[in-house]
Amino acid sequence: MPSDAEIAPAEPARQGRERRAAGRVLHRSSLRVLLRDPMGALGLILVVTFVGMAVFAPWLAPYDPLKLDVMNKFQPPSWAHPAGTDQLGRDLLSRIIYGARTALSIALTSVGLAGIGGLILGMIAGYGPRWLDGILVLIFDSVSSLPMIMLALAVITIIGPGTDTLILVVVTVSIPAYARLIRAQTLGMAQSDFIVAERAMGASGARILIRHLLPNVVGPLVILLSMDVPIVIMLEAGLSYLNLGVRPPTPSWGNILYDGYTSLRSAPHMVLIAGLPLVLSTLGFTFLGEGLRDALDPKLVKGGA
Amino acid sequence: MTPLLHLQDLSVDLPLGGLFSRGKALNILAGITLDLPRGQTLGLVGESGSGKTTLARAILGLQPSSGTMLFDGKPLASRSDYRAIRRRSALMFQDAAASLSPRMNVEQAITEPFTIHREPMGRRRDRAAELLAEVGLPAAFAARFPHELSGGQARRVGVARALALKPELVIADEPTAGLDVSVQADILNLMADLKERHGLSYLVITHNLALIRHVADRIAVLYLGRLVETGPTAEIFAVPAHPYTQSLIAAEPKPDPRKRRADLAIQGEIPGVLRRPRACEFHTRCPLAQEICRQDEPVLRTIAPGRQARCHLIEEKTLNRETTDELDHQSPQLS
Repeated sequence: MPSDAEIAPAEPARQGRERRAAGRVLHRSSLRVLLRDPMGALGLILVVTFVGMAVFAPWLAPYDPLKLDVMNKFQPPSWAHPAGTDQLGRDLLSRIIYGARTALSIALTSVGLAGIGGLILGMIAGYGPRWLDGILVLIFDSVSSLPMIMLALAVITIIGPGTDTLILVVVTVSIPAYARLIRAQTLGMAQSDFIVAERAMGASGARILIRHLLPNVVGPLVILLSMDVPIVIMLEAGLSYLNLGVRPPTPSWGNILYDGYTSLRSAPHMVLIAGLPLVLSTLGFTFLGEGLRDALDPKLVKGGA
Repeated sequence: MTPLLHLQDLSVDLPLGGLFSRGKALNILAGITLDLPRGQTLGLVGESGSGKTTLARAILGLQPSSGTMLFDGKPLASRSDYRAIRRRSALMFQDAAASLSPRMNVEQAITEPFTIHREPMGRRRDRAAELLAEVGLPAAFAARFPHELSGGQARRVGVARALALKPELVIADEPTAGLDVSVQADILNLMADLKERHGLSYLVITHNLALIRHVADRIAVLYLGRLVETGPTAEIFAVPAHPYTQSLIAAEPKPDPRKRRADLAIQGEIPGVLRRPRACEFHTRCPLAQEICRQDEPVLRTIAPGRQARCHLIEEKTLNRETTDELDHQSPQLS
């Protein structure tokens, strides 16, 4: 792909054509738009911070998050323990950092799997034969009529709580939403001239799907996925808070929040410290999603210079 | 010599309704019988909604149709037949910029036919430059993306892609729509030039009569999905037989006010396939409509050697030679 500098300056395009400037999903000028937007930039910084925390947890955490030190329980923040300690004397900062690992591994895995599943099913529904589309849409509608929390509770009752259960529930519930988005995009695009042109040239269905439809329909999905990550993080925290998610003693923001709640009077810092990363990561992914929406909007990419 | 393309009684029906209302269909085209001889240009004329574009898509199998189609004497029936006709023909779109994949640069776009049909192309770069040169664009355009092209440039890229595999048939849908007059002329000259050099046959679809008169050897006039008149271009423009054709030609802007005719003007909009008039489709707007036009459906019949029309009133009209003579733009006694 040629760099922007190699492309001769475009002649003034007509207004209507600007929409087609969608270009590549995230090329340089999109990134520039994202960083120029303070919210988007903040979102990106927060997300990168949390991902860094999760990836480098063993190096960043000052203590072992599972190491008990009952003599020093309920310590308020101090130089030795910047975020204090919990009811078993474990270092809270370390637990928060490891909690990022738990939260992100669950959220990114489940949203990623659901995104891939939704992409494939949505494109099949949108470009495949009509009868298959009918069946798939029926399935999407049935599944998405189940409320996520209720389904989660039901599945947990049957197969027990844990990370895998959480991921399974999130993937099941999210696929229809993603698939519907992709299906709508694909249906709309399948009628567009350039797809008809490909067919007229004799291109096979597989080639049209992969080379032409796929790159043109994923943009909106990326935005939706980014904005759904915090929902999953909250769900994980919520279920862990109810003792239905990640099993203790694995550090999870929900678990820490629960522990803090039970000792709210003696050690109010725990709730605050466990709530903070939850709030910040939610804001981070949401800002990033909104920033991406603007950054991927070709009108802003073109006219924003 | 067998015509390159022969259509016999082609019709297109669009199925209506979903899972629970099968069986209903909307008739878009019916009884289309046409020949496109090799090396010639056939002009397909009609208002918006007359089914011109649908016909083009049906020929390439992009739209399910019934009837007989022969391409180079061989029937088009199976999937592989359509793959063959798509290999040997090319479709040029009304909106050339929209017909280019937004994420492919010009080089990828114009060499894509080689990839699709696994044809050898040598070095992609050289082949792209060669094709661009053929349509009069510098090789530097290879790196551009569709949104970086002007209307005329996009059109040329469309022509370059159409020519990539040396097609025998080129279907051009409104080849000059949305272009400046000077660019229109460029594109038409380019198309004529390429026809000469590569022995192309064109099916040109347009509502632009000036264009069709300039490029077409023969004309087929469509109204609401029915062929109403076919014949050699010069003869149809000289003496249009069908009242619809007469109206179309009369509606063309004329510099001389004395040649403008109000009596042949058609009123209103094309009725649309959802409310297709009974009997003769044109009777609702025909200035000459009579009782028979509301009762019986006319058939396409030969009215002169090489000319056909679908109208009950043709005999009466041919008696009335004076009426039609006045329509003749070239008639010297009037100018």
